[in-house]
Amino acid sequence: MTRYIIRRLLQAIPLLFIISMILFVLMQNMGDPLATMGGRTVTKSADRERLSRQLGLDKPIYVQYLYWLIGNDWAKADLDGDGIPETPGTRKGVLRGDFGTSLLNRGVPVTKVIGDRLPNTLLLMVTAELVIIVGSMLIGIYSALNQYSTADNIISTATFFLYSLPIFFFALVVMYIFAVNFKRWGLPYLPTVGMFEPQVGKTPAQVAWHMVLPVATLSFVYFAAYSRYIRSTMLEAMGKDYIRTAKAKGLPRPEIIYIHGLKNAALPIVTVVALDLPFLLGGALVTERIFAWPGTGRLFLDHLARNDTAVVMGLLMMIAVAVVLFQIVADVLYAWLDPRIRYK
Amino acid sequence: MFQKPFVRSLLFMLIAASFVLAGCAQPAAPTAAPVEPTQPPAAVEPTQAPAVAEPTQPPVVAEPTQPPAAPAEKKVTTFIWTQEFDTLNPLYTNMWFSTITHQWWNCWAWDFDEKNAPRPVLVKEIPSVENGGISEDGKTITLKLREDLVWSDGTPLTADDFIFTYEMTMSPKNAVAATSPYDKIEKIEAPDPQTLVMTFKDPYAPWVGTLWHGLLPKHILQPVFDSDGTLDKAEWSRAPTVGCGPFVFAEWESGSFARFVANEKYWAGRPKLDEIFVRFVPDDASQIAALKAGDGDLGTFIAYPDMPDLEAAGLTLVKTFSGYNEGYYFLLDPAKGHPAIQDVKVRQAIAYATNRQKLTEDLLLGKTVPAATMWDATPYIDPSITPYPYDPEKAKALLDEAGWVDTNGDGVREKDGTDLSFIYGTTTREIRKDTQAVVQQELAAVGIKVELQNFDSDIYFAGYGEGGPAATGQLDMFEYSTVPQFPDPDTFDFLCAEIPSDEKPSGTNWEGWCDPELDALFQKQATEVDFAARQQTFYQISKMIYDKVYWLGLWQDPDFYAVNPKLLNIKFSGVTPFFNIAEWDLK
Repeated sequence: MTRYIIRRLLQAIPLLFIISMILFVLMQNMGDPLATMGGRTVTKSADRERLSRQLGLDKPIYVQYLYWLIGNDWAKADLDGDGIPETPGTRKGVLRGDFGTSLLNRGVPVTKVIGDRLPNTLLLMVTAELVIIVGSMLIGIYSALNQYSTADNIISTATFFLYSLPIFFFALVVMYIFAVNFKRWGLPYLPTVGMFEPQVGKTPAQVAWHMVLPVATLSFVYFAAYSRYIRSTMLEAMGKDYIRTAKAKGLPRPEIIYIHGLKNAALPIVTVVALDLPFLLGGALVTERIFAWPGTGRLFLDHLARNDTAVVMGLLMMIAVAVVLFQIVADVLYAWLDPRIRYK
Repeated sequence: MFQKPFVRSLLFMLIAASFVLAGCAQPAAPTAAPVEPTQPPAAVEPTQAPAVAEPTQPPVVAEPTQPPAAPAEKKVTTFIWTQEFDTLNPLYTNMWFSTITHQWWNCWAWDFDEKNAPRPVLVKEIPSVENGGISEDGKTITLKLREDLVWSDGTPLTADDFIFTYEMTMSPKNAVAATSPYDKIEKIEAPDPQTLVMTFKDPYAPWVGTLWHGLLPKHILQPVFDSDGTLDKAEWSRAPTVGCGPFVFAEWESGSFARFVANEKYWAGRPKLDEIFVRFVPDDASQIAALKAGDGDLGTFIAYPDMPDLEAAGLTLVKTFSGYNEGYYFLLDPAKGHPAIQDVKVRQAIAYATNRQKLTEDLLLGKTVPAATMWDATPYIDPSITPYPYDPEKAKALLDEAGWVDTNGDGVREKDGTDLSFIYGTTTREIRKDTQAVVQQELAAVGIKVELQNFDSDIYFAGYGEGGPAATGQLDMFEYSTVPQFPDPDTFDFLCAEIPSDEKPSGTNWEGWCDPELDALFQKQATEVDFAARQQTFYQISKMIYDKVYWLGLWQDPDFYAVNPKLLNIKFSGVTPFFNIAEWDLK
């Protein structure tokens, strides 16, 4: 098993290199970072030339990739525009742990830009994921055990309906009902946007209160996905011979459902959840935008719109590394849980 | 392990927990707009043309107010920003949402009032030839600073800070957003702490609209520059705890909010409000919801269709003109452009064929008017100019005259085998897409076919070197909202030297056309320090651009602010929106 893990990790390295190259090329072709530096007007030509030189944007794409990867403190840049490079660079490159500085938040290290937002995203996403898992499990188990009953049909219809709703629509509808209109009608209301009320301050109670609508938006829409999956794996497991044996042996019903049924049905779910976890880091783009939740999803959108290569690459590489790692984790976990599986 | 009763109790616990949470959490004290429509404060009228740079009276210094004894509640106002500032350092950003905060925590040498007239802040009076502030030859400008200026930490603010700001702007080690107009200064010196003398290489007419938009504190940043060799990474850019405005920066949490608290040491007297809380809400629909629910007292960049909704919810919409006009540029480059567009008769036909009055009434709800020139609502436009009227018959006659006729009956005119069909491009904003649809129909009615294209902003505004569609001549007619150096009329869009090419990929004359007469006029106005002479030059410029339809105006593009009526004493300027923030108060 150890050898398997090490082999997978070694295989991941060239994969990550290729991923980073492809992403970098895509980023560079997405637009012009200098285009939006003029504020509300077109960037002046003199500023465009100077900034292009000072920020290293006039270099060919492979040189820019090289600087991103291994830094530019071994090369000199021409800062004063006389054509002669005289100033040594200050970047150490990703391989030495320096992800560069943001083009948008000038001078701020990428790790700080992302690090400031990551806790907020994790808070929201992990809570939502937990709600989704617990909720889906309950719904899926109930649906499987009461297959084709009225309740099962109603639940299935409801979850599919919610799944088909565009998430921004759902978010705005709940915001308007529970925040704007409830307040107008004098009912206890939820807040519209943000993480807390300025007058009260950033207390855990405030943050939890403000999390209700975004978490609800994320969970309700995704209940259908997991619950259907659990329902089908439960049905499959409950139809197996060993369940019939357990029933014949006269074991109590809860023990049959949870220990013999769910434990086996849950294996694929574990894999699916493990594969979904890395994308939690990326945040929920639409939900964060609508509820003004300061997470990495919004960060990605904002910096992508302004072509901030350093930050976007930092986010994408973080997710890429997480995906690779969690895939290995999922495989190992699956093997650990299911004694029938052995890797060479 | 999991027993059924356990699952049941788990469910109960979850439900109970959510109730407890609901009960525990303190919903904010309702800051809702009052339910009954209250009397809105007299809306500020659309701002007038900026007055001439006459020496204005210095503002009456407010009496230093007594700090309120044990205030029952802090006066905190919440603003909603749909874009988060990228940085707060005045030198490193041109982002509007950042620069308009300068009047809160930083200071300009002079700002602009609700009529867009200059108003002294740090200087005793606006320099002019009469008071000796400007030399006879127009090349030397002298500023006399007030004696009582202090930074928020008590350090005196002097001419040395001005010189430091200049040096940091011009230093090649700082990747600043813009070096102009400081790159035009030949010599700058401070004979004494309250006097600053700037000598320009040539007389620089746009000085009042472009100089000293924010200062850097020398005593804080000089040591940073000395030790780091650059200001690019300075902490102060993210957290400018030392400033010179009525408020002081307190906190900025990435993506979430920023706080500015009252500056007790402000040399013009403590502001009435205790704190400004800026909340970043990127989504337009969420901004509207938050304003209606009272989670914000002020919002801006409101889409026209949302305005009646907000007014119905009790908010006041204040309009202020900031020099922006939405209009069309044309690709006039003979090599890349469509032959029809290069004919002035065709461009005039386009002007007559489009009903811009109806466009503003229908799409913009009558809240603005068609634009005639890029200098509308300023004293620089020839008074005889009014927007081209809607006259489709005249348009057809002009096209016939120009030789474009529909010989094969397909509804599209042609000449010498070329169809009168070209590409009309703009960004993806809703209002622009709607305009495209309307104009496409109107042009089709006179036999012109247009193909519509839309791009994201960062692609649309990309330069020639980056393959931007407008800059590289892929669009025959391109639309966006443009502004001169408001309140100054100076602009670079028509200079021959600004035509982009492989040698000069950064050029901003995307029409690709050199009109030597126009170019000469633009060069001339930049040096005319005398207002009357400059005005005459601009009369000629505006008339020429209008007659030759080098630029066709769609509508005047004012800024709108949605304000909760509980904010008092509000006034907005088109140039420095929050110029009187120190007087704002909460009911």
